[in-house]
Amino acid sequence: MVSTGSYLALSGILFAIGMYGVLTRRTAVMVFLSVELMLNAANLSLVAFARAWGDLTAQTAVFIVMTLAAAEVAIGLAIIVAIFRKRETTNVDDLAAMKG
Amino acid sequence: MANVAFLILALLTVLGAVITVSVRNAVHASLGLVGTLLSVAGLYATMNASFLSAVQVIVYAGAIMVLFLFVIMLLDANRPISGKDPLPYITEIAAIGSSLMAAAFVVVAFSYKDPKPLAEAAASLRNGAPGPIGETLLTRFLLPFEAVSILLLVAVVGSVALVQRPVQQPDPAMEAEGARARDKREIQA
Repeated sequence: MVSTGSYLALSGILFAIGMYGVLTRRTAVMVFLSVELMLNAANLSLVAFARAWGDLTAQTAVFIVMTLAAAEVAIGLAIIVAIFRKRETTNVDDLAAMKG
Repeated sequence: MANVAFLILALLTVLGAVITVSVRNAVHASLGLVGTLLSVAGLYATMNASFLSAVQVIVYAGAIMVLFLFVIMLLDANRPISGKDPLPYITEIAAIGSSLMAAAFVVVAFSYKDPKPLAEAAASLRNGAPGPIGETLLTRFLLPFEAVSILLLVAVVGSVALVQRPVQQPDPAMEAEGARARDKREIQA
């Protein structure tokens, strides 16, 4: 059987790739796609730990995280559509009105 | 056998992720993400999580990605962004930072020791079938389960409220004018 460590390493690599996307992408939708990558990396490590301990609790938690991700995407994309209607852009560099 | 399956799925996962963060075309990037999500569903299947594997395909690769593709086409997000990057060397810095983080994660991950033999632990997962998951969800996770149902309701109402166009309020002056014209017509008749 594949060790838990290999799954955790894959999850870490996936998270790092997602972080790279969040840092470099300049459209709000593409930043969102990268956030989905990071969420999936977290889910992957939760399922790996569930298998290591033989406990279904983590798998149930992953189910709830997936529901949260669906809700987050619905709200986030609605916000992006609303911003696009008002400002005609979704470039995250232009949306700096709340810059401190 | 299991090792070969893991290696192929892991390669596909990383390949899809790299496509997602590097390709210019937004539709191609989201198709890369679909590839990653499907490979992760396969990885769940290799980890005795059959229910999660199905949910990953249905909810993530199905529903969420359709939503993404709709918004990309609606907003015409395919347009490449031109102009100078406001932060100098952000790509290089991000690449170095994330590779360092990935290296740290890999080192930590491989130092993880399994708390008990994997075959023994896997037996108590009961293959991650919907039945055992539902049992946990409706006993230990009952409160989060109910909270999530409220959250989903809020998300549905919120997203509709966010994208609806503002309702046109009738102008009071025009309203009065209309009423006067109506009265006149009634008198003439």
